[in-house]
Amino acid sequence: MIEKEVTIINKAGMHTRPASTIVKIAAKYKSDFFISKDDFEVNGKSIIGVMTLAAEQGSKLMLRFEGDDEQDFSKEMVDFFERGFDEL
Amino acid sequence: MGDRFKDIKEFKKEFITVDFFYNQCKSRFKLQKISNKKIDPKKVITEKNLHRPGLALAGYVDLFTHTRVQIFGNTELNYLKYLNKKDRITTLKRFFSFEVPCIIVTNSNKPPAELLKLADEKNISVFCTPFLTTMFVNYIGDFLDDQFAEQVVIHGSFVDVYGVGLLFCGKSGIGKSEIALDLVERGHRLVADDIVLISKKVESVLMGSGTSLVKHFMEIRGLGIIDIKQIFGIRSIRYQKRVEVIVELEDWDRNKSYDRTGLDSNTTNILGVELEIINLPIFPGKNITVIAEVIALNYLCKHYGYNAAKVFEKQLDAKIKSNLKTSKFNNGYSRNTEYFEHDFE
Repeated sequence: MIEKEVTIINKAGMHTRPASTIVKIAAKYKSDFFISKDDFEVNGKSIIGVMTLAAEQGSKLMLRFEGDDEQDFSKEMVDFFERGFDEL
Repeated sequence: MGDRFKDIKEFKKEFITVDFFYNQCKSRFKLQKISNKKIDPKKVITEKNLHRPGLALAGYVDLFTHTRVQIFGNTELNYLKYLNKKDRITTLKRFFSFEVPCIIVTNSNKPPAELLKLADEKNISVFCTPFLTTMFVNYIGDFLDDQFAEQVVIHGSFVDVYGVGLLFCGKSGIGKSEIALDLVERGHRLVADDIVLISKKVESVLMGSGTSLVKHFMEIRGLGIIDIKQIFGIRSIRYQKRVEVIVELEDWDRNKSYDRTGLDSNTTNILGVELEIINLPIFPGKNITVIAEVIALNYLCKHYGYNAAKVFEKQLDAKIKSNLKTSKFNNGYSRNTEYFEHDFE
């Protein structure tokens, strides 16, 4: 299991488009993927789930990867968060 | 006892603001604000229990649970009226030296002017309700119980099928939303898709509902986001439902054994409540929607006292016993009808 904390840095937050890219990246991997914000944890492979977090700029999220390809998976996902969802 | 959901994090509200409390309760429980000041937005309620401060007013404040909502019934108000003005002020000042969230006066009683004055000074809101104390304590107790209930979030689809709350779980992409959609199309009602908030209501009841953001939106792979309420109308949705059966969808695994008789029902534990769980293997050509309807109907049969697996077991035992007696004459299968009686239809 890999856990990574990330911060939302783009202005618009984790809105529909980044959410859809997140689940698209997640769908490529076999590992389970969860995102939590405060007390709330959602399945990172479901777009409705990801959008429900309504994560605003500055909010901190915990990403959790579990499975055989968790290394590559976490790397690509964390990278996408660090790039500010390519919206910087 | 299954532990399928043992890793799911429980949470509950730490507090609700008095303002939120008032807005939720004013029309439900005919609550009316009688103090003059606006509700202090910083005042919060942190406990689900209520308190009648009779003893605290009388002077015994050792175990005064002042952080609870304070209910002034007939007893408290009559006691205050019975005191002379000086004692009344001393009593109320002692009461207000504690930090209370808010005060509710029942029975449409008029509290003494000193109480309202001191409450305003301390920025504590006073509400009034026409309900009798016992009734009101019941209503508000239930409301606060609900607000401070333990909750979990489950990734699944929750549908009311023939009045039975079926919660479909399983890994992402296995087709939970598609099954929910199919069930809605057949006239059943969607409660929530993807994110199901489950709250414990009393000791053995779990209530499920969606989130205020997602409502009855749903994602179907390949289509995107759709709104069930708009497409199928009001009959296709509901806000809340008791969770009754968990249906765990999984890819067919030939090495795993599945329940074949239904004699032993499996249960799983969510928030300390045991719920029936059915592990349903899926494979192409299997109509899960119809099976889901049958799960619901079979649950109803059992609820109303008919358990098909048990009835069949009984019949079989009886047949084996009778075979034992008449084994010499037993020649294999026996027809459901002994004689077709010229009925060739």
